[in-house]
Amino acid sequence: MKPALMLMLGAAAVTAAHAQSPDTSLPDRQAQLPSSPKLEGQEYLIPRPLDSIPQGTFGDKVRLGYQLFVNTQQLRGKYVGNELNCVNCHMDAGRKPNASPIWGAFFAYPAYRKKNDKVNSFEERIQGCFTYSMNGKAPPSGSPELVAMSAYAYWLGMGGLMDQYGVAGEVPELADAELLKGGKREDFPAPDAIKTVLTVDARANLPGRGYPAIPKPEMPYDPSRGALVYQAHCQSCHGADGQGQAMAGVYALPPLWGPQSFNWGAGMHRVNTAAFFISENMPLGKSVQLTPQQAWDVAAFINAKERPQDPRFEGNLDATKSRYHKHDGYYGTSQDGVLLGKEAFPVFPAAK
Amino acid sequence: MTSKLIGALGLWLIATHGAQATTAPAMPPQAALCGSCHGSQGLGVEPLGPRLAGLSSEYIQKQIKDFQSSKRQNPTMRPMAMTLQGDALIAQVADYFAAQAVPSVSIQRRGEEVTFQDSAERLAYQGDWSRELPACVTCHGPSGIGAGTFPRLAGQQASYLKSQLLAWQSGTRQGDSDGMMANVANKLSAAEIDAIAHYFANLK
Repeated sequence: MKPALMLMLGAAAVTAAHAQSPDTSLPDRQAQLPSSPKLEGQEYLIPRPLDSIPQGTFGDKVRLGYQLFVNTQQLRGKYVGNELNCVNCHMDAGRKPNASPIWGAFFAYPAYRKKNDKVNSFEERIQGCFTYSMNGKAPPSGSPELVAMSAYAYWLGMGGLMDQYGVAGEVPELADAELLKGGKREDFPAPDAIKTVLTVDARANLPGRGYPAIPKPEMPYDPSRGALVYQAHCQSCHGADGQGQAMAGVYALPPLWGPQSFNWGAGMHRVNTAAFFISENMPLGKSVQLTPQQAWDVAAFINAKERPQDPRFEGNLDATKSRYHKHDGYYGTSQDGVLLGKEAFPVFPAAK
Repeated sequence: MTSKLIGALGLWLIATHGAQATTAPAMPPQAALCGSCHGSQGLGVEPLGPRLAGLSSEYIQKQIKDFQSSKRQNPTMRPMAMTLQGDALIAQVADYFAAQAVPSVSIQRRGEEVTFQDSAERLAYQGDWSRELPACVTCHGPSGIGAGTFPRLAGQQASYLKSQLLAWQSGTRQGDSDGMMANVANKLSAAEIDAIAHYFANLK
């Protein structure tokens, strides 16, 4: 009787665990797409200048997208739970190649993701940014914020492609629903002059998309070596305590760890992603100043510190770790006697 | 009776604390020499000396030391800086000037404007990434108000801002981390330097 009961309970537990399939639990919307490799002499899409955004309601959405991108803090408490702004990781307001430009991302979605066995739209990818990178709450599907950011991404990308392939005129206006889906689909409306030259897959891999990969380090990456790199090259802007620098309440120089930074579900907590970003984009305005070894080491240093909890955490650190953290990262590991993730800071805290 | 006493004590504490908060530290004797060119309240005397009020103590201390070690080459300031020997004295003088009031500036945050008529303002707020030139406000803060090791630009003398950008270009001013400021200055044209200097000087 007893073993049978246990068996039944066991079966119930298995069923319960199974019920939390990827479809019902919070998906990983910051899973990596392979970035576009950096090649000698390649040409990058050049977005049109912001003063060529057209007047009218479509142009207004594009402008709002830009404004949300550089001052994401206007959504603090509503959808944002830390001190970051999109522009902190996407340089030049999402326009700069090799800094995860959003014109590159727009044409890379919708994308199929193995992890949640689901096709993710561009809107869902931005929602992921709010949930993880902004340690906040995703704006609802179809909300004005998501429409605006999608419109901005589309306008940058399509204007750049039109100029590149000799298509004159304004960027064609698109309905909100089209913008939210993203540009990686056969039925995406694009001028013929672009469609005939660029396949959907080629558009999804525009040069400069993502953060270009750098070679693996010669020695395994190491936070303690990274600490020295940090002191020499990073802390004059980000502070010895990594908490950035606020001026008039704005953290233009962002916090890199701790309660006001991205959480344990953000793509940037991965050592490889951070190393790629840092190598290409830091120190600001100088680009590729560190050796690959230095970039990996300092990425490890920054990411071996406590930050807000992984929003997919359901009370069991080991379970979250084994389910979502099979990659280069320090979640659930002991660093300097601290088990990272155990005392993580709150997700989307109620107050500053 | 007791509550009245506590209330009175509270008022007294508020009054004295308030008075302390609004009174800047007394001028240390060694700061008098600085005041002859920078103004006794550190507001600057153009063209003798730039404004010190509004700069952080941390920044002023570093500049005094950079003049002493000739990372900042300036024939007037080197001997002046040499009169301040020892960290404690340098900190005392820097604290005094950092505590002086500065005219307020209305803050413009990034994103408030999408497009700019004034190309200097565009550089300040958006940079020019086709030249890997970050926006000035990224490090100097909204409206260039500055903090920590990043000096306030808002309201600083245009002639001084210009001379410093030129000094970064020529290498007579150094001491920035990783050559970050020299890297920025070297990408600016003479006309841009002039325009940016006036833009920040005239912010109100």
